[in-house]
Amino acid sequence: MAKIDNGRQSSDTTSIRTVSSSRIDDESSLGSDSEINGFASDRQTDKYGFIGGAQQYSEASSQDVPTEVLRQREVKWLDMLNHWDKWMIKRFDKVRLRSQKGIPPALRGRAWLYLSGGKVKREQNQGKFQELDSQPGEPKWVDVIEKDLHRQFPFHEMFVSRGGHGQQDLFRVLKAYTVYRPEEGYCQAQAPIAAVLLMHMPAEDAFWGLVQICEKYLPGYYSPGLEAIQLDGEILFALLRRVSPLAFRHLEKHKIDPILYMTEWFMCAFSRTLPWASVLRVWDMFLCDGVKIIFRVGLVLLKCMLGTREKLKACQGQYETMELLRAIEPRYMQEGYLVREILEVPVTARDVEREHHTQLKRWKKNRGELNFKPPPRMHGARLIMLAEPPRRQDLQQNPTIVLEVPPPTPQLKKGKGERKSKKKRSMKKSPPIVEIPNPYPLARDSTPPPPPSDPPAPPPVMDETPEIMPQTETVSPLQQQAPPSDLPPAKESPLQQSSQSLSSTEQDTYL
Amino acid sequence: MGSDDSYNFVFKVVLIGESGVGKSNLLSRFTKNEFNHDSRTTIGVEFSTRTVQLDNYTIKAQIWDTAGLERYRAITSAYYRGAVGALLVYDISKHLTYESAERWLKELYDHADPHIVVMLVGNKRDLDTLRTVPMEEAKDFAEKKGLMYMETSALDSTNVEAAFNEVLTAIHTKVASREVTRGSISAVTLSNPIGPTSEAQEGRGGCCKSA
Repeated sequence: MAKIDNGRQSSDTTSIRTVSSSRIDDESSLGSDSEINGFASDRQTDKYGFIGGAQQYSEASSQDVPTEVLRQREVKWLDMLNHWDKWMIKRFDKVRLRSQKGIPPALRGRAWLYLSGGKVKREQNQGKFQELDSQPGEPKWVDVIEKDLHRQFPFHEMFVSRGGHGQQDLFRVLKAYTVYRPEEGYCQAQAPIAAVLLMHMPAEDAFWGLVQICEKYLPGYYSPGLEAIQLDGEILFALLRRVSPLAFRHLEKHKIDPILYMTEWFMCAFSRTLPWASVLRVWDMFLCDGVKIIFRVGLVLLKCMLGTREKLKACQGQYETMELLRAIEPRYMQEGYLVREILEVPVTARDVEREHHTQLKRWKKNRGELNFKPPPRMHGARLIMLAEPPRRQDLQQNPTIVLEVPPPTPQLKKGKGERKSKKKRSMKKSPPIVEIPNPYPLARDSTPPPPPSDPPAPPPVMDETPEIMPQTETVSPLQQQAPPSDLPPAKESPLQQSSQSLSSTEQDTYL
Repeated sequence: MGSDDSYNFVFKVVLIGESGVGKSNLLSRFTKNEFNHDSRTTIGVEFSTRTVQLDNYTIKAQIWDTAGLERYRAITSAYYRGAVGALLVYDISKHLTYESAERWLKELYDHADPHIVVMLVGNKRDLDTLRTVPMEEAKDFAEKKGLMYMETSALDSTNVEAAFNEVLTAIHTKVASREVTRGSISAVTLSNPIGPTSEAQEGRGGCCKSA
């Protein structure tokens, strides 16, 4: 029997099963609702759990990572998750780089929960979800939510059967939110957001993830009046002027209100638009870096579809343009292509904020004060963490499934885990990793990329430290908790060096 | 992209009504002859076209389908722009969806052309055993408001063609008799919404074909 300890499986099979989440399993679909209901025998699920639909896996739409690279990444992410606060404060650039490369599927749910701050929220509100879950909820919201349950990712095995586990959990999460925020209630676009989270984590975690997205990443998007989404439409349009003047002029000329094409994109964080491999990569970056990623995806798609004279010649009207934007060519949404393009869009969180300010002023001039003032937007995982510093115990991993492990104290378990991972690393390291040619080397990688390969490397990823709040002011509460370190943040602390020798060298240049 | 056929008119028709009454399935039934019990919720806007022959004219119908949830009404005014027809849909088995028709009508007249052709559509006629909205009641209401009226079933296709065709015919009649103002004729096509004359829109080839 496989021995599972804090997310590591001693026999290295095709996938690491995480223990903090019950649903992360990208290879098998055993026990899914679709099988329980006798669907699966004749219908093949893809590796993401889709049995059909336009978002299903296809080789053409995704970019597979070799197993060895994936194993390395898992080790690195496990290590980051074990020392989350230090990584977030001292090596956030690395967390960002690794989120850009794609979070390993086996750890995605846990990483999303940590990045979004949902993990901390959950720990600081223990018992809250159970309390919300036990309440019946307001009938008007319950009615609407129930009507929507079978209309979210109907091609995903989790949500395919009426009243199945996926739909039940979806109901619990959405209803809990309406009880948690009665003044907000329920907005339809929250359902796909919650569903994507539920594909990766249990209901309680998904609930806190949803809370974070609705209140920190996309505040006001789902609130009555939908003012925030309209404002972001204007911001997107203004940013487009810089990114693709041609596309901008075309949309302007045909009087195509941004709300006509960006509502679903932004409100659902592209979860209903892109092929699944790309959705996951976009969410990895979005939860790490915040809403600017959503803006960038929107800008990339607009630029690709409307960015050349030739393309515009073939679409001469409002409706034709709308049709074009509803049928984005698959090559522009292909995982590798899209991620590279996103990283190249020169739009920072500061740009978004600046434009937000401008558009808000315009809005107030034309339409008066906002009726619904959302909380300020948090641009990414680091700022969320700094705004609400976690206690040490909030970041502790609490495995829910532990097999064949004597009941140790948390500290003991942690120590054991570290030893184990060290062993694993040495095993990995001894035969030096065969260089896997990477078609998409990242300029920022510290290890020289393999011999020049065909497509040219993209320009260096912009270093965005300036847009992060001054460290010295906000870091202090956390630094007090962290063991003292005399080394400047740029270098690794002795602790990190001892347990993270591999993590600091990026051999993995797959983007 | 647009169809290859050439056409005489483009009519924009919007589908409005409460969430879950079957707007998206009416659209897919009419434009693709498809029905799906588990169709995704509409977030933002969906649309589809179908070209139909009325008398000797070829009409390209652009059908816009909008989100029904109350919250989305804040952003639907953009969808109404240029619409010359509307199907106001309710579910015959859910009285509440019928009760909100009046509110939808106001919404429509606030944002759309005053001459817009409107049909009240009682959908899910196949659920007759669960009916809570009597046909007569809805008919009277429609008459009082000057709306056309029909009951449909997107599921078994009953009256779907008929409903759309009646609306398109009524629009065509208005356009042909120049009953509508010049301003609204220009809204008949979206290809060139800024100040074209009705003549310019007639007899054109496919607007998005360059070759």
